[in-house]
Amino acid sequence: MNKRRPPPDPVAVLRGHRASVMDVCFHPSKPLIFTGAADGELRIWDAVQHRTLSSSWAHSAAHGIICVATNPLIGENKIVSQGRDGTVKCWDIEDGGLSRMPSLTITTNSYHFCKLSLVKKPSTCLTQAGDSSYIDVSAKQLGSTTESKELVDNYDMEARETINAEILDFVNAEGPKYVVVAGEQSSEVEIWDLNTAERLARLPHSCDGSSFNYSSKARGMCMAVQAFLPLQSQGFLNILAGYEDGTMLWWDMRNPGVPLTSVKFHSEPVLSLTVDGPCTGGISGAADDKIVLFTLDHKMGSCLVKKEISLERPGIAGTSIRTDGKIAATAGWDHRVRIYNYRKGNALAILKYHTATCNAVSFSNDCKLMASSSEDTTVALWELYPPQSLT
Amino acid sequence: MEDAKRRRRELETKVLQKVGEVISTINDAKHVDQVICALHSLAAMLFPLDSSLLAGSIDRRYRDQVLCAGVPSPSERDDWWHAFYQGASFPTLARVLIHYVASNWLACFPLSARIHVYDAFFVSGPATEVIQAVVPGLQQNGSNENLDLNAICSNAERILVLCLLENEGVLQMAREFGGSCQPEDFTTERLNPIISRVAQLVASIPDKARLEATAALSSHLFFKQIATQLLAGAEERAIELCGRADALDRSVVNGTFLFVGETFSRICRRGSAVQSLRQMICDMMLLLFVESCLSPNIDCIVPDLFESKSGSQYWLKMVEAMKDPYAVERLSEQLLRQLATEHVSDVEAYWILWMLFHQNFKHQTSVRSMFVDKFLLWKVFPVCCLRWILQFAVFECPPTACLPTKGQNTKGILDMVQHLVGVWSKREFVQSASMELQAYSDVTAAVGLSLEKMSKEELEAAKDVMHSILQGVSCRLESPVHLIRRMASCVAFVFSKVVDPKNLLYLDDSCSGETIDWEFGLTTHEKGTPDALHSIEKAKDELKTSNTSVPDKEVHTVDDRIGKKMKGRNKKLSEYTMVDPDEIIDPASLNNEQISDEDDHDNASESSETLSDTSLQPYDLSDDDKDLKIKFSQLVDVVGALQKSDDPDGVERALDVTEKLVRASPDELWHVSGDLVRALVQVRCSDLTVEGEEESAEGKRQSALVALLVMCPFESLDALNKLLYSPNVDISQRILILDVMTDAAQELSEARSVKVKHQQRALISTTTETQPWFLPSGRGPPRAGPWKEISETGTILSWSYRYERELPSKPSQIKMGKSRRWSLRSAKMQENQMEWSKNKFPVYAAAFMLPAMQGYDKKRHGVDLLGGDFIVLGKLIYMLGVCIKCAAMHPEASALAPALLDMLSSREISHHVEAYVRRSVLFAAACILVALHPSYVASALVEGNPFISRGLEWIRTRSLQIAESDTDTECSTMAMTCLQLHAEMALQASRALESVDITFKEKSGGLPSSVLKGPIKIPFSSVEYQI
Repeated sequence: MNKRRPPPDPVAVLRGHRASVMDVCFHPSKPLIFTGAADGELRIWDAVQHRTLSSSWAHSAAHGIICVATNPLIGENKIVSQGRDGTVKCWDIEDGGLSRMPSLTITTNSYHFCKLSLVKKPSTCLTQAGDSSYIDVSAKQLGSTTESKELVDNYDMEARETINAEILDFVNAEGPKYVVVAGEQSSEVEIWDLNTAERLARLPHSCDGSSFNYSSKARGMCMAVQAFLPLQSQGFLNILAGYEDGTMLWWDMRNPGVPLTSVKFHSEPVLSLTVDGPCTGGISGAADDKIVLFTLDHKMGSCLVKKEISLERPGIAGTSIRTDGKIAATAGWDHRVRIYNYRKGNALAILKYHTATCNAVSFSNDCKLMASSSEDTTVALWELYPPQSLT
Repeated sequence: MEDAKRRRRELETKVLQKVGEVISTINDAKHVDQVICALHSLAAMLFPLDSSLLAGSIDRRYRDQVLCAGVPSPSERDDWWHAFYQGASFPTLARVLIHYVASNWLACFPLSARIHVYDAFFVSGPATEVIQAVVPGLQQNGSNENLDLNAICSNAERILVLCLLENEGVLQMAREFGGSCQPEDFTTERLNPIISRVAQLVASIPDKARLEATAALSSHLFFKQIATQLLAGAEERAIELCGRADALDRSVVNGTFLFVGETFSRICRRGSAVQSLRQMICDMMLLLFVESCLSPNIDCIVPDLFESKSGSQYWLKMVEAMKDPYAVERLSEQLLRQLATEHVSDVEAYWILWMLFHQNFKHQTSVRSMFVDKFLLWKVFPVCCLRWILQFAVFECPPTACLPTKGQNTKGILDMVQHLVGVWSKREFVQSASMELQAYSDVTAAVGLSLEKMSKEELEAAKDVMHSILQGVSCRLESPVHLIRRMASCVAFVFSKVVDPKNLLYLDDSCSGETIDWEFGLTTHEKGTPDALHSIEKAKDELKTSNTSVPDKEVHTVDDRIGKKMKGRNKKLSEYTMVDPDEIIDPASLNNEQISDEDDHDNASESSETLSDTSLQPYDLSDDDKDLKIKFSQLVDVVGALQKSDDPDGVERALDVTEKLVRASPDELWHVSGDLVRALVQVRCSDLTVEGEEESAEGKRQSALVALLVMCPFESLDALNKLLYSPNVDISQRILILDVMTDAAQELSEARSVKVKHQQRALISTTTETQPWFLPSGRGPPRAGPWKEISETGTILSWSYRYERELPSKPSQIKMGKSRRWSLRSAKMQENQMEWSKNKFPVYAAAFMLPAMQGYDKKRHGVDLLGGDFIVLGKLIYMLGVCIKCAAMHPEASALAPALLDMLSSREISHHVEAYVRRSVLFAAACILVALHPSYVASALVEGNPFISRGLEWIRTRSLQIAESDTDTECSTMAMTCLQLHAEMALQASRALESVDITFKEKSGGLPSSVLKGPIKIPFSSVEYQI
């Protein structure tokens, strides 16, 4: 223990983008990586061969992509891209590439920096084989407007490899397809239906006529959102939104007028919010010099700091928590990707590869890979603390 | 009375007659026994002599004569004795004994005879008379050829040792002068010349003794013995006088003390003799002091205690008796030094000084001025001595007392301090006082120490003190010598401490402590260990002594800690960055019970997961921000960054890369060099960088400028020379410019260039090989494949044959990767390259020197080289010297030398008040002497170039002047070197001139004498080269 291991190098570097790579995400089950660049190019990479599979101009070059996202809930072969041209586009993944035309285009008319969020559904932690006590994902009731769907899956922890696929297949059939995004009024959060391209709600719910007059302008723009479905909310969508002044609001869709709770962990705009697998906690990064690990208690409606990590150099553009909830990663303005033990909050590694600001980090669903995208037009793939069974 | 006198006179004539008889007998003697008999007959009259003792050793014929000599009664003998020694008899006889007998007969004397009839005359006589008679015998300039001078001298030495040392003759003398055997008519008036003569004789003995004389007469041992005897005599006398009524009567100075004092003064006058005395005196003083201070409470020593002590009295008297102020000064100086080396305490030293000098200090102005002026202002003392002097002479109270004399004495102190500060603050003092005096900082320390003792009110009461202090500090802060600047800051610190203890003035990091080392780390440690080391060692010792049980390891860690501390903030900073701030746990989170509970719960439930958690071993978390910095790759960017003074990081990074970029010599260098030079000169490193890193930033800036000057000299010099005299730069920038130019000149003169050596190849190859001539030759590396003809691609018509073959790779070639380079560089290339150096400087010499020489004497806004900015002037001259040296032996040097000589010889430069400037002038002059080619000097003389010959002559005369009469020692040694160089140059030139002479004679058959305008003087051969 005298001399710690030097931090690892990336296992692969994906080059090819001609502009800052704004976002990166993995396909839920296949070895595919999606990246979106600031010049509007959306690339699909083979995560095994590390080659570009396809490239398409998803958004105009002038505006560029700020976010790409996949989610088992919206379907396995779908990908959502958000551009700074005020649109969110949903694409089908066809053989060898994206569909020629987006399957759906939502015009949000929002021109800001906030990345959209798909709904995060509590998955069980990918725990070790011995621990099989926790097998429950109950039915989910989603917002009152759409048909509710009961999703029940019981699965065995030992067959973890296949379970993912099962869930995904299962979810693939149908699911609540929402996208949450900062709205036209940049202080508002809007929820759009991905099937119909209609706006379902706005938060704060100003047209509700409620007596609660929430001064939303004071918080400034919405900078980060995360939608999730906690177990206790009976399928109602919950949304965590971070604002320009550093506050975070937690909304429950059953009461869109008043947020469940409001906390202020950061002194600068919240840039990134991620909720962990069981939706009982998360990590937030901001433009100030700290990272906050927090807990979410739905019953109490409380959001508490679990651990505050202060940084040498400020600015966290992206955060991500691995699906097994063991480690979390942050993408820093200081070109570093930092890895933390998510449970304890201690630093595990400082990854130096990028030569410019890192924009996003993302873990693959099988926990084997992590991808980081940076302004230096590269995407780096890392293998960090691979799950025990694989070693 | 009358009768007694007559009787005495009669007796004296009788004695004289007897002596005359004896002498004539000796003169006529044919045998040694005759001489012995004659002497015996006289000795028997004077001393109680047992004749039988020597009778055995002489011949029978004379034995009876000896044995039956009449023996007078004791009273008669006493009369004879007095008559013999006080009259003219003894000197007469002594002369014969010393000269004639010693050379002719003494060697034949039997031992007993020598003791009883020869030595007895000296040993038994009064020492004062004896010494007067014997000492002249030491001198060998006797004109009489038939005397054996060597025998005389050695005999005289023997007698002196016998009388003075073995028989304690000096003690006897002291007693004699004291009056125990003093006749009535020995008045003080008669006594004084005798005392001084005797003292003179005693003190001169070691000098007069021959080299081969016995060791006891060497000045060291001799004076030591003499001093012991003198002090014993004085003490004895003091005790004797103690009870008497006139003991304290100051007007009557006893003869003993007069003699002792006089002898001490004489001894003190004799060079190094004092050194041998000081140890002894010091020991005795200390012993005395310890005796006096046996009283239990040392704090309340009162002067009375010492007054009452009889022992201390004689010291006082002795010092009083020393009339020679120079001797007093020497003695007291040596005493002070000795006290300092013995590390006596302040109290002891004060009382010793007090005992010795308090009377004289009160009554004699010379002693007072010795302490106050000479010792404080002109002598170099250790600081502790200085403290004692201040305590004794200025504050006039023991160190334990805290300035009790608020009344009349403060006036004196203030006057004194004012006087001190007045001298200290003068600019002339800073300029003219010798470096040692400045460096050892007596005056500074004195000022500082006295300031420490003063209060604010007192300071304010004194008229000019404050003003003078400020003036002194400010003119010292301008000095080029670091030490002097440090003195200034120390004094300023003390001053601020007095004026406002809450708001201390730190001009320097080094004097941050509460107490100031007034020795400035110079003299404290004889072995030259630096302060820091010393303190570490001390700390170590303390640790080891305090707890010896502590294992070594712990001591080491403490050592390390100390060591780290010494390394300063720089190190500390880096250590802080090593700790990753991410690991700092927010204490607020610990307070959160709920979370800590949860953590516990987690840990419990995750016990099964420990396996997986262990897989989360952290990697190395060290992080630095090297890669985060923007790297400059264009000179234009660098210039831009340097000009942005609000972005210190950028400036620092720009400085980092500037030198490399400049050395790469990109195309745009010529265009940006001017801007870059200006930006580099103007950038303020000290403001921008972190504390402790100024040095490296300055260094980078300098090396960048040097690189610029080397890579494109003309453009950069243009900009630099404009800046040098522009009012917009300060002194430090001017100094920087000059430093940079110096370095660049040196680098240019040592430029190296690589030249590829062409391999010799035979132009025509002999075709001894069997292959056809049109095939390429088979030469080449071994294992080369055979030549194969290849068909011409493209056109059908081919005018030539093409061949190819496969070559093995050379052993030094390493194929790495998929390199597409056609030719791999091999190590062999190195062999073909020949490095050769070439002086590139002369081309640029004029550009370096002439513009800088143009404006030095103009005084304009902010630029006053001849006045306040003398450091810049010194640097400028130094730079010019280096330049001319770099161009040495090139024609450019000869062309530029007259101009430089002209500048140097101008009065305001060559006679500049600051030694710093004078030193640089000498350096430049030496450089010129080295740089001029002898043949050029010769031709200048032949052709009558008045500038060169006049300038060289000026160098010689000026060096002579300085070597003879400069206050600065370094100046004079440099002048000596200069003279030597001049002589060498003159020699070379004269040789060159001779060869020229020959060629001239061959051509024109003679040289018109009018051609030679200036003669060259060749000092060592004392031949003036004149044609």
